[in-house]
Amino acid sequence: MELTKNITLGVYLPGETYIHNLDPRTKIIAAAILITLLLFIKSYLAYAIFLFLIIAILVIATIPPGYAFSGLKPMLPILVLMWLFQLFLYSTPDAEVIVSWWIFSATDAGLHMGNLISMRVLFLFTVTTILTLTTSIVSLTDGLESLLNPLKKIGLPSQELVMTMIIALRFVLILAEELDKIIKAQMARGVAFDRGNFIQKTKSLFPVFLPLFINAFKRAEELIVAMEARSYTGGKGRTKMKTLHMGRVDLFAGLFILLFSALIIYVILIVPPVI
Amino acid sequence: MNLSVRKIVISGILGAISILLGITRLGFIPVPTPAGHATIMHIPVILGGVLEGPVVGLITGVIFGLFSFLQPGAPFFADPLVSIFPRLFIGIVAYLVYYSTKKINTILACVLAGAFGSATNTVLVLGMATWRGYLPSEVSVSIGLLHGLPELVIAAILTVILVKGIQRIRTTEE
Repeated sequence: MELTKNITLGVYLPGETYIHNLDPRTKIIAAAILITLLLFIKSYLAYAIFLFLIIAILVIATIPPGYAFSGLKPMLPILVLMWLFQLFLYSTPDAEVIVSWWIFSATDAGLHMGNLISMRVLFLFTVTTILTLTTSIVSLTDGLESLLNPLKKIGLPSQELVMTMIIALRFVLILAEELDKIIKAQMARGVAFDRGNFIQKTKSLFPVFLPLFINAFKRAEELIVAMEARSYTGGKGRTKMKTLHMGRVDLFAGLFILLFSALIIYVILIVPPVI
Repeated sequence: MNLSVRKIVISGILGAISILLGITRLGFIPVPTPAGHATIMHIPVILGGVLEGPVVGLITGVIFGLFSFLQPGAPFFADPLVSIFPRLFIGIVAYLVYYSTKKINTILACVLAGAFGSATNTVLVLGMATWRGYLPSEVSVSIGLLHGLPELVIAAILTVILVKGIQRIRTTEE
């Protein structure tokens, strides 16, 4: 039971392309705009235009398609299941029946609905994957902090919030080692993790969870003392060793995304939704 | 709003546990249903709400939500309205339930906080998935019963054990 051997946090693929070298803030805002657009798209034409953008980005960022979609594999069965649910269960009063078998009947409305939600999920997934493939976690948190900075004026502690995320990411690896030790220790005491029915398996998790949480809280107390002893005061008057800079590429990328959004919004308004 | 060092650190570490349960798949308990597993990744969020208050519950929920959005376990979690939005409320609900019932009995309060926190997760996630059109309502209801109920029971038991365990080490240290 080697649970913690191959932990990968994020799937950053290092590179020196235009997409990789964009300022993280540009990429976060662009991804947010694209995700928002995707939530409103209801026509095949808009998805077709979107597909061109995705292919263009994948080519510019030189991401191998197999790599980009590898995260999709475990989700595929559920995606097919979701599509089938819509096909057979979704219907509108004026829908035409395409196939009928036993108690199930598929309508064209169900088919379109299934297609639309599957495409929405696929595109949303691809946008977030491209963001995490081309941006390291460090620059993502840096970008997020910088984007949240203006909200300080209305009382949002942006530096502190980003600090919690950095602590979370840092402690995943520390706690993973701890978890490994706990599991080995409990196996040595005779806890069988991979045997038994559902209830026995659930029960065998208790001797892992209690020490894991208690150790985590002990570490938290130590870290609190350590940070307070060094007079951590959050974001007040803090400067950064590396500051982010927006360049001409970011300007172009921003303009391009704005034009693209305008096009998509135009399509959303003009083309009637398929369902 | 001011965040104390305690709140920052505890939210961060509970968030880390939530992510850890996700990537090691330890947070998925195999349940004999077609869809496969019940999740316990929301337990750190409930603990954050019960032990440290609504703010920690909220921030831990954000970390849990962001993680399930960036590394989705099911297709519809790629939609931030399904993966992030519902998770904001788990810790807050757990806190409210715990603080309104703890005068009666703290063990009962933990059980209820765990159960209601877990129910918040199930109902809001499936509700959003249905509203956004990813699941037909019949399917959502049956997933809710098949997965939601075991999750609720496990969450209630784990919340009591973990809250009592952590409170004990805290009182002995002080």
